[in-house]
Amino acid sequence: MEKTVEVSHVSKSFNGQSIVKDISFDISPGEIFGLIGPNGAGKTTIIRMLLDIIRPDSGQIKILGSGQPEETKDMIGYLPEERGLYRRLTVINSLIYLGALKNYQGKKRALELLEKMEMLQHKDKKLSELSKGMQQKIQLIAAICHDPQLIILDEPFSGLDPVNMKLVKEMILDLGKEGKTILISTHMMDQVERMCGRIFMMHRGGGVLYGSVAEIKSRFGKNTVFLEFEGEFKNIPGVKKSNLSGNYAELILEDGADTQDVLKAIARDVRVGRFEVSSPSLNEIFIKVVEE
Amino acid sequence: MTKWITIAKHEFAYNVRRKEFLFVTFGLPLLMFALIGLPVFLAASTTGPEKFSIGYVDNTGTFGGNFTQYTNETSAKNDIIDGNITHFFVIPADYRSTGKIEIYSRKSRMQGTIEGEIRGFLLDNLLKGENKDIVERVKNPIKSEYFTLNEKGESSKDDLSGFLISIAFAFFFMLTIFTSSNFLLQGVVEEKENRVIEILLSSVSHRELLTGKVFGLGAVGLTQVFIWQAMGIAVLSSGPAALLLAGINISIPLLIFASGYFILGYLVFACIMAGVGAVATTSREGQQIAGIFTMIGAMPLIISQLILSKPDSIISMIFSYFPLTSPITMIMRISTGNVKYYEVVLSLIILTVSILVILELVVRIFRASLLMYGKKPTISELIKYVR
Repeated sequence: MEKTVEVSHVSKSFNGQSIVKDISFDISPGEIFGLIGPNGAGKTTIIRMLLDIIRPDSGQIKILGSGQPEETKDMIGYLPEERGLYRRLTVINSLIYLGALKNYQGKKRALELLEKMEMLQHKDKKLSELSKGMQQKIQLIAAICHDPQLIILDEPFSGLDPVNMKLVKEMILDLGKEGKTILISTHMMDQVERMCGRIFMMHRGGGVLYGSVAEIKSRFGKNTVFLEFEGEFKNIPGVKKSNLSGNYAELILEDGADTQDVLKAIARDVRVGRFEVSSPSLNEIFIKVVEE
Repeated sequence: MTKWITIAKHEFAYNVRRKEFLFVTFGLPLLMFALIGLPVFLAASTTGPEKFSIGYVDNTGTFGGNFTQYTNETSAKNDIIDGNITHFFVIPADYRSTGKIEIYSRKSRMQGTIEGEIRGFLLDNLLKGENKDIVERVKNPIKSEYFTLNEKGESSKDDLSGFLISIAFAFFFMLTIFTSSNFLLQGVVEEKENRVIEILLSSVSHRELLTGKVFGLGAVGLTQVFIWQAMGIAVLSSGPAALLLAGINISIPLLIFASGYFILGYLVFACIMAGVGAVATTSREGQQIAGIFTMIGAMPLIISQLILSKPDSIISMIFSYFPLTSPITMIMRISTGNVKYYEVVLSLIILTVSILVILELVVRIFRASLLMYGKKPTISELIKYVR
């Protein structure tokens, strides 16, 4: 089956500084794919090259089987990291204009999406009258309004409150169920590990990990404990590293440590609410990979 | 390739609704009117001719007329202070040999109308006894008409139409470029600032975006200038300038050439301005760079004497073909008749080709420098992009 996105050996440098180094990955139709890595890793540069906003210095990019960007632009939806819309234009007129630029006429789908995102009552307001979170949602609608085959979302969750975060996540998963191919780029790795089938992890312009989330996690073994507790947490024998945040902790165990011993040790000091043995989070995997 | 039309339409509709556009389009003429018209209006209402009442002291003993005569300066001065008269003048005994006149008044001001009235009074007296027609002729001796002879000895009546048209064209052209370039700069820089440009470029090519902007924002500038022109014609044709307009005859071929040069010349500038907008990080910076190009565009006006008198000189030739200066230069030369056919054709071809070349260069610069937020590319980087 033809790949939706094919990136092979793409490099790009600005002013002699190498931003993207020999990157290759591909995305199959209907996949939800994560492009992850810290800020400045080169994710946005890759996305801009996928969209033909900038061109790679070397390497090849094929979208929907075509190397001609003019043929495929109408089939791509894009939510840029740097959000921006015409401030003095009304919501519905913005959506109609941006749709027309994708050769999509009419506003039926725009109205449906506004309704789904609970924004229909704001359709005749100017963008400048909306809150930041609302503008985010409008921008997401603008990206998918023309019913694209491939949807590229750059940091789709930044600036959203928990309620809107849930709405956006559901929207993305629904689009995935409709068979759309979705590329999510984010530095919030934990956000995507539950949504994406496969990921490409970047660090300083190069690829460090590539594959399905499950496969990558199993590669790093079940050496992590997710813990919820009450009380004061102390150092526990057998724990190599602990990431504490309030009443929650992520513990990395030493090689060969027994999880039952660790549980007993912990239970002596604090009340345990949850104790889960699992693979490390993508965040932890990333740190481990980079440190090596 | 219809997306650029969508962009052009959007740019036009979005920008003519701007407060700044409406303010400048309708506010500026009002301001001009206030600055120029109001003082004239006020001056006319406070110092109408009927308000003058003039007296004189005649030391020669031969002058007389409908002004108040005083026997000495002291009584005339007292009358001015009492407000009975506004001005008086003294004719010295040796007036016939010196022509000297002393005029007194409470206010110091331009003496134009006063002098006119005194001149009439003096001429009437000096030419006393002459035929009335002669007196009128002496007061207004020349009404000129000029004729030009060609090689065959045929004469044609000269009028200033050609010259006036070329000046009007140049003025109109510069005004359009000035206002449109502002809109183009703002349009490109603003989209860079509010980040919409990234969405636009994910939908259309750089060339489509640029073309749409040049036409859409250009139409905004043209609209503004046409509104001003309509206002100007309305004011002029209702006032004393109506006579001047009636005396101008415009030939159809000149009109066609003028439109052609206008549109092509405008497109050259518009493409350049869009390029400047792509490179500049702020609209202020963009305006400074744009100013250089506008200055070059205005150069033919500054050396119009040379172009018209020596069309074969090297400078005139360069100005006739260089795309930034050729529209104004060629219209000046066509309207005054000293131009050869092939020169017109050649300059039009150069203009058209340079539009395509500039557009291509600007597209490349656009693509390379557009998303370098907050950093202005250096000249050497620009050259690299263009390659």
